[in-house]
Amino acid sequence: MTAPAADQRRVSVGIGQIAVSKNANDVLIAYGLGSCVGVSAFDPQTGVAGLVHVLLPASEGKGAASTEPARFADTGVDLLIKLLREAGAVPRRLIVKVAGGAAVLGPANAEKFKIGQRNAEAITERLKHHGLRAAAADLGGIRGRTLELHVASGKTFLRTAASPANEL
Amino acid sequence: MPSTDLLVSMLSDVAREGAVRAGRGLSGLMGQEVSIHIPDVRLGTKADACDAVGGVEAIVLGAYLSISGDITGHVMLLFPVARALQCVDLMCGQPLGTTTEPDELAQSAVGELGNIVGSAFVNALADYANLILHPSPPSIIHDMAIAPVESIYAEVLSQGGDVVMIDTVFEDQTGHTAGLLIVAPDPVCMDRLLRVAA
Repeated sequence: MTAPAADQRRVSVGIGQIAVSKNANDVLIAYGLGSCVGVSAFDPQTGVAGLVHVLLPASEGKGAASTEPARFADTGVDLLIKLLREAGAVPRRLIVKVAGGAAVLGPANAEKFKIGQRNAEAITERLKHHGLRAAAADLGGIRGRTLELHVASGKTFLRTAASPANEL
Repeated sequence: MPSTDLLVSMLSDVAREGAVRAGRGLSGLMGQEVSIHIPDVRLGTKADACDAVGGVEAIVLGAYLSISGDITGHVMLLFPVARALQCVDLMCGQPLGTTTEPDELAQSAVGELGNIVGSAFVNALADYANLILHPSPPSIIHDMAIAPVESIYAEVLSQGGDVVMIDTVFEDQTGHTAGLLIVAPDPVCMDRLLRVAA
C-alpha cells in the first residue's frame, strides 16, 4: 500500500451504511467485517467508487429496509448501483469486489450461525440479478476483515487482526 | 413503562446481581478483591459499542458463550489484548506484565474468565426469571473488536429484535480494567422475559 497522501480523507462506512465518492483523496473503509459483507465497486472510466457494509441477507419487507436499505444484501446492492449510476458510473463497467461473511464466534459455532455465509450468497445472487459478478472475493473463514477502497486508484485492500494490508 | 424500558430495567437488576457473583468468583480465582461495575445497560446497535475496548479495529481477546435452555441467547466478554493479558497474570498469580502474548495458556485463562463472568450473568438471569439456562463452553475470540460485536448484532437482528448490551468495568487493587460484556437474549425469548419483568 502506498503511503497516505497528506490530504487523504478516510471515510468510515459503518454497519448498514453506504458511501459513494469520486474524490481522489477519499479512502472508503469498512472496519472489522465479521459476518457482515463489504461490497466495493469502481468504474475505472469515470473514477466513481462506492462501498456498502451489509449486515443481513434479506430485507424481506422489514421496516428497516426503507430507513436503512444498506443494512440488507438485496436493498444494499440495489442502492449501491443506483447511487453509483447517479454519480456517473456505468454499471456494466463496474469492478466489484466482496469481502467478509466470516464465522468469528468460534469454530464450534460456525455450523450454528450461518449469517455470514447467507450474506455472501445473497450478495452474489443480487449482483447476478444486476448482471454483475465479483472480480475478486475473500469470503468465509473465521477472521474479521477490514476492507479499504482507494478512490484514486480503484484498488482495494484487506487486512485482518493477524495480517497486514494486502491488495484484493 | 414501554416494554424496552422494562427490559432494560430488569436486565440492569440482573446485571448488578451478575456482577456481584462474577466479582466473587474472580476474587477467589485471582486471590485478591475484584469488583465489577456496570456503568451502562442499553439497547440497540450503538456506533460507540467498541469504544470501551479501544475502538472498532482494536484487537480484543475474549470469550463467547451461547445460552440454551428455557431461552436462548448470547454472552460475550471482550477486553483489549493488553488488559486481557493483565487479567491472565492476576489469575495465574504472576507479576503484571509476565504474560506478553495471547498464547495457548493465556487463551485458556481468558476462556475461563469468560466462563466465570458469563455463567455468573446467565445464572443471575436464570434465578431472577426462574428459568433453566445453560451457558455453552467458551469459544475464544481474538479479533478486531467490531467483527464479533457485529456478528452478534446480525444474529439477533436477523430475528428482528433488539440487542441488549451491558458495558462492564472490572476493578482490582491495581486500578481499572475496562471490558465490554454483551448479553443478548434472542428476540423470540423477549416475550417470556417481559412477562417476568412486568
